[in-house]
Amino acid sequence: MSVSLECKKVKRTGFLPAFIGGGILAAAVPVANMAVRSEMYLNQPGSPIQILLGANWQMMSMLNVLLAVAGACLLYHTEYADNAMQKMKSLPIRESSIFLGKAVLTIFMSLFVLVIEAGAVTFCSYRWFELGSGFWGELCKCFGYSFLLMLPCIILSLLISEACKNMWVSLGVGVVCVFTATILPTTNFSLSLFPFAMPFQIFAGTDITQSTHYICGTVIELAVCGLAQLILVKVRRSFE
Amino acid sequence: MSFISLVGVEFKKIRRSKILFIMAVAAVILWIPSILNAKMNFGMQAEGISPENNFFIQGFMGMAWFMFPASMVVGTVLLSQTERANKGILKMLALPVSTAKLCIAKFVVLLTLAAAQILMMTGMYYISAAISSGTQDYNFILPTLFVLKEISLIFLSAIPMIAFFWMLSVCIQTPIFSIGIGFASIVPSVLIINTKAWFAYPMSYPFFVITSEYGKLAENLDTAPVELIPWLPVAILITILCLSISCLRFGQAERR
Repeated sequence: MSVSLECKKVKRTGFLPAFIGGGILAAAVPVANMAVRSEMYLNQPGSPIQILLGANWQMMSMLNVLLAVAGACLLYHTEYADNAMQKMKSLPIRESSIFLGKAVLTIFMSLFVLVIEAGAVTFCSYRWFELGSGFWGELCKCFGYSFLLMLPCIILSLLISEACKNMWVSLGVGVVCVFTATILPTTNFSLSLFPFAMPFQIFAGTDITQSTHYICGTVIELAVCGLAQLILVKVRRSFE
Repeated sequence: MSFISLVGVEFKKIRRSKILFIMAVAAVILWIPSILNAKMNFGMQAEGISPENNFFIQGFMGMAWFMFPASMVVGTVLLSQTERANKGILKMLALPVSTAKLCIAKFVVLLTLAAAQILMMTGMYYISAAISSGTQDYNFILPTLFVLKEISLIFLSAIPMIAFFWMLSVCIQTPIFSIGIGFASIVPSVLIINTKAWFAYPMSYPFFVITSEYGKLAENLDTAPVELIPWLPVAILITILCLSISCLRFGQAERR
């Protein structure tokens, strides 16, 4: 019920076109890169996905993360802007279920964006490289992994947006977090567990144990963020 | 109402917005890795840049590529949303003040925020340079005049970009589009500065200027120099165009 309500709310906010547009933009990155300087990448070792993601994932994931941050800000902005949140709070539903509805919506849209990007990667591999036998399996694994690592970032940015009533504060905090993620050294494992830095990881080419560590980290972070959301709602209620 | 007092009113509106606090946090976060990795500044013989110059320029490059433009986007959100939140803009438009004046006053506030952020960065630069000088036993602090020249270059080159962001937030009522277009336009600036058409893309100006300064300071590094001739007229044209469009469009959506 809550998810369909959220879908109705975002109808005229430009949320869906923004995600579609962002996805297309991010998908255009590898295509444009290959179209302009394909000779740089054709002779590199590794599978096509590995080469393509290695060359473009930094920028694509940056767009994904920024999209998630902006989307999360917008979802809560529509609630706080004209005190709609007070009406929501007076309804017989839990505040956490509002959060859950928004989270499901954002996660679904991010999945959609990743699917567009996967399509672009497939196109590039088909056009400039050749599709090997294990291509589809590798593609699914790669983007499934990216999707998993996107989750903590989405949940945390929603949490920030819920905590801050003013849109610019949540947006500003989100931007600072994204910025921190870009300057963190990627070689350090514990630092790259920062939720906003995780989407920058690439599955292709890394060893399985490290990927398993990242997946464990994702699950733990999701649990922590969920708990923090419950506590935030309880604490804020007692102060309002 | 005189222009100065209008600007003063705009400043009063954002007094409790905590924007300066967010900018300060960003400035602190930016310089922490530089302090921790201060040793790496000594291994730059290949580029032929002195450690103190490298320390300075790497930090400011980090700012100019993403943090500075993104905070300007946040600043435009702040300026437009504080007014729209409780229909404050309707009251402002009811006053006998020209809307263009109001629009420019807000733009001046945005410019001041930009200057404040650059100054915070500079302040943090001096603090972190002093700390690194202590830990590395080497003087990282550059002369004030040089630092002032560089930061004013960044600020001046950012004006067209800020004007563009301001136009976005005035013309596009849906906040996610103005934010989204702003963010999306920042990300490709890394690619644009390597092309010949960089002067047509205002979002890449600050990063281009600081990169070319890096090339000047590093003897063995070749970066594109700033060519004033196509750039300056184009930049001025973009600024005037963006500002006049935003002055024309300011308050139009509310007056309908």
